Amino acid sequence: MEEDFQPEYGPKWSDQRVERMLGALVVFIVGLLLAMIVVVLLHGLPSFLHNGLSWFGAGGEVDAQFQAIYLSGQSGTSDYVWTFHAWPLIWSTILITFISVFLALFISLFISVFLVEFAPAWMTRILQPVVYFLASVPSVIYGLLGVLILVPFIGNHLITEPEKASVAGVISLTGYGLLTAVTILTIMISPLMISIFSDGLRSVKPGWVEGSLALGVNRWRTTWKIAVRAARPAIVAGTVLAVARALGESVMLAMISGSTGFAPNPLDGLIFVFEPSRPLAATIVENVDALSSHPANATLFAIASLLLYSAAVCSFGGYLARRSMRKYGAA
Amino acid sequence: MKMKTLAITALATLGLAVPASAGAKTTLIGSGSVAAQPVLQALFKAYEKNVNKNVKFLYTPDGGNAGIKDVQSGTSQFAGQARTPLPSDAGTTYIKLYLDGLCMDVNPKNSLKNISIESLHDIYRGLITNWSQVGGSNLTTTIDPVGRDTNGGTYTFFLQAVLNNEPPASNVNALTADGLVVNAVKQDPNAIGYAGLAWQKKGIKAVKVNGVACEPKKISVEPLKYPLSRYIFIVLPTTNPSPAVEKFVDWARKSPEAGEIINKAGGVAAFNKKAKK
Repeated sequence: MEEDFQPEYGPKWSDQRVERMLGALVVFIVGLLLAMIVVVLLHGLPSFLHNGLSWFGAGGEVDAQFQAIYLSGQSGTSDYVWTFHAWPLIWSTILITFISVFLALFISLFISVFLVEFAPAWMTRILQPVVYFLASVPSVIYGLLGVLILVPFIGNHLITEPEKASVAGVISLTGYGLLTAVTILTIMISPLMISIFSDGLRSVKPGWVEGSLALGVNRWRTTWKIAVRAARPAIVAGTVLAVARALGESVMLAMISGSTGFAPNPLDGLIFVFEPSRPLAATIVENVDALSSHPANATLFAIASLLLYSAAVCSFGGYLARRSMRKYGAA
Repeated sequence: MKMKTLAITALATLGLAVPASAGAKTTLIGSGSVAAQPVLQALFKAYEKNVNKNVKFLYTPDGGNAGIKDVQSGTSQFAGQARTPLPSDAGTTYIKLYLDGLCMDVNPKNSLKNISIESLHDIYRGLITNWSQVGGSNLTTTIDPVGRDTNGGTYTFFLQAVLNNEPPASNVNALTADGLVVNAVKQDPNAIGYAGLAWQKKGIKAVKVNGVACEPKKISVEPLKYPLSRYIFIVLPTTNPSPAVEKFVDWARKSPEAGEIINKAGGVAAFNKKAKK
């Protein structure tokens, strides 16, 4: 191989091989993602164009509208029905996602503060792997727990006959509803938040905490004012991930949320928490067979593009929030 | 040097392998009944995968009548059909493929023995909401109607057989699987739901519909007495039917595997041999 050697100036090809290949891989993945977004938007566009802004509004029964859209695509002619008012689905997504993330935020923050700052070492050693494990349990298992345990409990013990009779004919209060969905979703996203929060709390510079303790500030105040504040970027990151997971959760919510295109109304009083609804992602799962009908296909892709858009807004918001927290010393 | 030899050998092997595996596939074109689609798709998938890898099915669910026209004009090689033959179907041959049959189930705590099609219609359209409005039940509570989401073959059949193609009311809880419907009826004393014969097990109670019990012999033996049962046909042109389609129909009608697929997808296998256990 001696004769192959040629002195060269600049980096040799063999030195650049890895970075070129990795670069190509990144370009490929980014291109694939962009192509995916464009395809979803293009497929969904007809539904948005025919409905305009009223697509996002309320009006009529969303399930009946979708049925009409689906059947018009199967009739063989091309006079399609497009009318679709997605508000009940959007409202359901907002309710379920934000209530769950709000509850999970507090639960997870206190649990991770306890795990990192207060729990004895042996307990952290046991609990931390359990939390990591729970964060990776497939959502359909949580859905099964909901169907087999929580739904019959709520349906047979918490909901009373007069409450059911008061909404008879409009919706069924059977245990499949907001309360079940929020409870299970909170349980599902909490481990994810705890694992990110506790990693963040652990990477707080020890000097800051020790300095505070040395000044005579008590342990709780030090934790709350120094450690949790310094870990805020991690808290934002964990919350953004949790919102994204809650937004995109489909199978589990399709199983327990009640599967009705109904917008739960807080003015109904206590039964509000039992009212069924169906978020956007679950709507796609429950209607995949309708993809063969052209207008139904466009409507489902319109729902998908709304979900993509929300996920993008959510991660961009998280990025902005973290940028303004650079001074706390985290990435 | 060694690497180069290896690379060339690998390339040569690939070059030989590609043309051998890329055999031309025969596409069989069908159209017709929407109600038959879930079962037909399941049969197509299994046939393409396990029986004849060189066949590909393309099925457009444009409705039974349109499917017959497609067969008559020659644009489709076969059609799915859920109604019995009419005089206008000249030039086509109807073959019974399988049966649609749905049992109506209630919780064992409900003393209901029999229900009429009209009551079922009113319950699933949200017109009757209390068990006291349905004769023969000991309950005086609100009815919890349970059904399938739009993906289910049973949903389509129920829509056509009971609801006259009107969509179910908003108080019908649409679940994502037949097993979840059965589970919901098992857990809720006030529930009513529909599921195929294969699901009739402990914990739920099948009621008579218009006085006829939901039993295999009432559904699968002629004449069809049970109101929620009907034949699903596959329709071929009488002259020169495609041999590939005939082979598929033969498999779907007779083999035990196809029978299991039909039962799982929401139909009732009528002619298939029982699988050995």
